[in-house]
Amino acid sequence: MQTENVIEIRNLSKVYRDFWGRRKVQALKSLSLDVKKGEVFGLLGPNGSGKTTTLKLLLGLLFPSDGEIRVLGKPAADVDKNERIGYLPEESYLYRFLNAEETLEFYGRLFKMPAEERRKRADELIKQVGLDHARRRQLKEYSKGMTRRIGLAQALINDPDLVMLDEPTSGLDPIGTREMKDMIIRLKEQGKTVVMCSHLLADVQDVCDRIAILYAGELKVMGRVDELLSEQDETQLLTSRLNDEALAEVRQVLERHNAKMLKVGHPTASLEDLFLRTVDESRARPGRRFMPGEDGAAGTPAPAPAATPES
Amino acid sequence: MNRLSSRNRKVVYLVGMIVLLVPIIVLGMPAASGEGSGGYLARLRQEHDLGETSLGEVDPSSATMNLVLLGLRGVATNILWMQLQEQKETKQWFQMKATTDSITQLQPHFLKVWQYHGWNLAFNVSAEWDQVEDRYYWVKEGTKFTMQGSRRNERFPELYWDVGNMLGKKIGRSDEWQFFRRFYKSDPNTKLFEGGPDPEISRFGASEFEDNYLASKYWFHVANDKEESQAQHIMMRMVFRQYPARAQMDYADALQREGLFGERTGQAWAEAYRDWTEQYRTGDPGFGQEIFYTPAGGVRLEASEADMRELAKKDSVSLRDKRTWTSRYQDIVSYRYWRTRSDAESRGKTEAAHREIFEGQKLFREGRLLESKEMLEAGMEKFASLLEDYPSLTSDDGFIEEGLMAVLYWRHIHTLLEIPFPENFALRKLWEKEAARIPSLEIDFRRDNGIG
Amino acid sequence: MNFNPLPYPIGQAVIFWLILFGSVTGIVLAIALFTSLVARGLKGPAAVLGQVRDFAVDMIRLSPRRVFALSSLTFKEAIRRKALLIFVVFALLFMFGGWFLSGTGERPDEQARVYISFVLRVIGWLTLPVVLLLSCWGIPEDIRARSLHTVVTKPARRNEIFLGRFLGFSAVGSIIVVIMGVVGYFWIVRQTPSDLVARVPRYGDLAFLDREGNPGRGVNVGDMWEFRSYVEGATRARGLWRFKDVYPGDNPDEGLVLESRFEAFRTHKGDMERGLLCELSFFNPETELRVRHRPFQVKEFSQNEIKIDRKLSMYDEETNTTKEVDLFDDLITDGTLYVEARAIDPGQYLGMARPDLFIRMANRPFYVGYAKAVFGIWMMAILVVALGVTASCFVKGPVATLLTLTFLIIGQGFREFMDRMVFQNLNNVLAGGGPVESWIRLIRHMNPQVPMEPGVSTSIIQFVDARMFDLLWIVQHIVPDFRHFRMAPYIANGFDVNFESAIVPGLAVMFGYLLPCLLLGYFSLKLRELEAK
Ligand SMILES: Nc1ncnc2c1ncn2[C@@H]1O[C@H](COP(=O)(O)OP(=O)(O)OP(=O)(O)O)[C@@H](O)[C@H]1O
Ligand SMILES: [Mg+2]
Repeated sequence: MQTENVIEIRNLSKVYRDFWGRRKVQALKSLSLDVKKGEVFGLLGPNGSGKTTTLKLLLGLLFPSDGEIRVLGKPAADVDKNERIGYLPEESYLYRFLNAEETLEFYGRLFKMPAEERRKRADELIKQVGLDHARRRQLKEYSKGMTRRIGLAQALINDPDLVMLDEPTSGLDPIGTREMKDMIIRLKEQGKTVVMCSHLLADVQDVCDRIAILYAGELKVMGRVDELLSEQDETQLLTSRLNDEALAEVRQVLERHNAKMLKVGHPTASLEDLFLRTVDESRARPGRRFMPGEDGAAGTPAPAPAATPES
Repeated sequence: MNRLSSRNRKVVYLVGMIVLLVPIIVLGMPAASGEGSGGYLARLRQEHDLGETSLGEVDPSSATMNLVLLGLRGVATNILWMQLQEQKETKQWFQMKATTDSITQLQPHFLKVWQYHGWNLAFNVSAEWDQVEDRYYWVKEGTKFTMQGSRRNERFPELYWDVGNMLGKKIGRSDEWQFFRRFYKSDPNTKLFEGGPDPEISRFGASEFEDNYLASKYWFHVANDKEESQAQHIMMRMVFRQYPARAQMDYADALQREGLFGERTGQAWAEAYRDWTEQYRTGDPGFGQEIFYTPAGGVRLEASEADMRELAKKDSVSLRDKRTWTSRYQDIVSYRYWRTRSDAESRGKTEAAHREIFEGQKLFREGRLLESKEMLEAGMEKFASLLEDYPSLTSDDGFIEEGLMAVLYWRHIHTLLEIPFPENFALRKLWEKEAARIPSLEIDFRRDNGIG
Repeated sequence: MNFNPLPYPIGQAVIFWLILFGSVTGIVLAIALFTSLVARGLKGPAAVLGQVRDFAVDMIRLSPRRVFALSSLTFKEAIRRKALLIFVVFALLFMFGGWFLSGTGERPDEQARVYISFVLRVIGWLTLPVVLLLSCWGIPEDIRARSLHTVVTKPARRNEIFLGRFLGFSAVGSIIVVIMGVVGYFWIVRQTPSDLVARVPRYGDLAFLDREGNPGRGVNVGDMWEFRSYVEGATRARGLWRFKDVYPGDNPDEGLVLESRFEAFRTHKGDMERGLLCELSFFNPETELRVRHRPFQVKEFSQNEIKIDRKLSMYDEETNTTKEVDLFDDLITDGTLYVEARAIDPGQYLGMARPDLFIRMANRPFYVGYAKAVFGIWMMAILVVALGVTASCFVKGPVATLLTLTFLIIGQGFREFMDRMVFQNLNNVLAGGGPVESWIRLIRHMNPQVPMEPGVSTSIIQFVDARMFDLLWIVQHIVPDFRHFRMAPYIANGFDVNFESAIVPGLAVMFGYLLPCLLLGYFSLKLRELEAK
């Protein structure tokens, strides 16, 4: 099935320059990836690997040094695309002198939305993010987690089709984290596309369909979470407790293919393993794309995303 | 240095701060109540009486303004001075006055500023206006301004003197003196003052201020009082101290100029004589009784031979030196002349001579020629005997001209009546001696009387 | 007194603006196209044109709702940042204001003038710094805190952000101006015992006849200030005024009221008890009819009202009879009235300038004039907001503040000086050359009249100076003329604020800057990454 690409990135590079135009950092190098409609896409990578930069480029907050971006079929600089986008920044950069209601009212007004609906939606979102008790307090009095919550509400005020979340769970308590994950899954169920960056790999593993791992601005790994974490060359058996004889027999039996199989499958590595391996490998062999299945030996330079196998 | 631990570094900073604070405290600490307390600056301030309150009345708005401006007072004053110049050039007098006030708010103890602006208002701005009432208004503004300055700088004699000078000379001696002197008693702004004087200028109309010269005398007195503890820097000390007495003479003289003769004028002159030679009504020693210091020690202007001898002995200088310096000092202020003049003027005979000549001239203008002739003759008679009594008056311009003018009138009456001009007449001696002055006086005479 | 309201040539101004604006945008566009072509090939100019198109699109699709949201946010921000604390200062100044203003109780009219100037100055001086600081720090602070990120990732356009900020700060400024204006009004009315009115003058043109009666100029009696020309008494010297559009008022029996503010200059004392005499006469050049009016005494620096009845009587020398003449029917043709002023006293002079004689129209209430003067301050505040917001779109807060302040100071204080320099330079009457040359002359104690010795160094100096003057010319044309917002002189002089010569230029300057500011702000926001650097 050929699904529509919500985000297309081609050979995207970003160089931060200082006031005099001198290069400071190359934050992204020739990044290419697509995000399809309806999927939850995770951007991973160590600190400073370029995740936030990528999101900002997608939103038109930064201008690419090279390459092309299309978001919802439009260039990143296009303002109209923002009608359908929700963005939760890395830290909640909101107006600290407004209270929760005023914040949502203000952001809501920036969208074409009848006043009635705006108010209803603001009310719903405040309840949904659990700030009902603090709706009249100015944001400068909020704790970090509360600020994240109102930030999320602000990102969803327009019922966006594409949600970009930069570290959505940072600063949230376990319940909040749980709720955030449920929310993301709910968004996915509603057919929305979600792009998120996170360092909490367990969360990513739980909610993301596909991930990309960046290292120093380069794409190292990309693919479906279940595929990336499965080890194709091995089979795992789970049986009831066997004594030594039985074990010996199993071997025979297995040889004769008539043992009762309790469970057979590929062992799954944790995402943490994958992440650490990717980072280690990238550090050891900079400039190469990491292929988990190839035991790191035969890395190929990052191919264009078109080469990525479609499931 | 960078080996120091962070704690040590902080200690170093602290010590540095304390070291820097010490001079500030030593120099600048404000004085507490008692004498000699406070920092060096505070003590200096006390020593030289430079505290804001010891300088004079404190204006709260001025203090506030200086506080608000922090260190920018100099800049603000400069801007105001520039603005003032512009307003002066474009003749925005009222705005200029407001700017002037702002400047003195910022520089309340800068005497020169007060002097300059007071003078500017009373003399320059006043002269820019055409109508006499307006001119008088600005003379008043300048005077009031200077008065205000004197209150803000109570210890200094200069501004008091300036006020005295404005009230005296400016009102009484400028071209418009006849108007100004009248306005002083009855302000042209009848709406506000209901025909009375402006109380700010004439001090609630008290009797000793009923004349501008008397008010002027009062201010000169105050200036003299102040001068006893704080030297002035505008003129020689002796010259400065003569002014109250001189104001009294100006007063008497002005009465005569206005044609007011009689007891009042005589008394005014008599008081002037006392002020000049003996003592003021206030009990202060008269001008002539004061001691002034010369290279030959103290001199007193009103001094007999015996007095001088005594003083010479005291200062152990030669009598000749003492006499020379006394006379030199007397010359500087024309002491002897004014002494004679006020003495002579206080006599009934003198008064009669002046009056008869004045009346005679008035009768002439009214066309009553015969009466005039008689009156003039009587006056000239008395005048001549006056000059005999006080020979030094024969060298006084005022007297000479008065005498010659009387003769001119008298002679013209003869022409009109077509009677011969007699060979001999009372003032003949003067007439012949001062013949050189006659042509120019004759021109005045003709102009004043509209004779072609 | 020293103000001379001239009608503002609005048509000319608009054309000039169009030329200037058109050529500047043209030049900028051309440079952009060219450099982009050099830098990026054909794609460059396409991108530049794309930006131009974007602007047009953004302008067309501008949403008032979003602008309103942004401006009310701005407004809330200013209020919650305690911008209105300025009212405390205002209140303090007013409570103690009376202390600072010396009471010349003798001249209520002059006292009122001082109070009015004070109030208007206070309003200006308090409002301008507040709006200047607010507008210069708003957007940079938004960028620094990255709260702008959450706004630009919504469908808010850059022009909407600019306008939202601009309107929000303008609203703050307006509130401050209005409240202060109202309070100030009651303060003035309470402080001033006399009834205040706004007189409405109708000015004419002035020409002079010299002492022989030939067209020429009056005399200068030695004033530095060349505002008034002097007419000698008892000669044929005259001041000739022509007033247009003079028609009977509502009451047809009424004549006209003229007001004069001539200055007297005496060469001799003369009669000190009365002012110099001035005689006005009216004449109709078509019928050669001339009516002399009763002479009046000139009272300087105050209002000399002269009532002219509709029915005037004149002595006809030919028939030796007294005739009655109708002011409007016989003396005025097509609404044009000619008035001659002459001095009567021989040897004395009367100083006259164009605004020294005018027709008094019906008075307006004081609050009308006062409101217009406050409106002038308001326009200035709005322009400052526009400049501040624009500057803040491309530089940070402190720099924007300095930049705007510089504009304000140059546009207000140095304007006259700058205009004079540019004018003298263009007309080659500048003594002592440009800055470098003047400097050298100063050091070498050279008289400005002495020519510089020719040579290479002189050429270089003159070249540099010429470029400096070019720069000055540019500055002169870029920096707004803030003097157009000064309406205080009108009202302080007891006049209504004239629409043609004060309000129109104020509006013209204000609107003239709005579009360029919007353009500059829009592209600054659009073409830069909104990252704190
Ligand atoms: N405004 C900026 N100016 C200069 N360099 C920047 C700027 N923003 C980011 N960078 C650099 O770009 C690189 C990528 O930064 P980015 O914020 O995208 O990282 P990240 O992956 O989001 O990291 P983290 O996990 O810490 O959020 C880093 O080296 C960073 O220092
Ligand atoms: Mg990040």
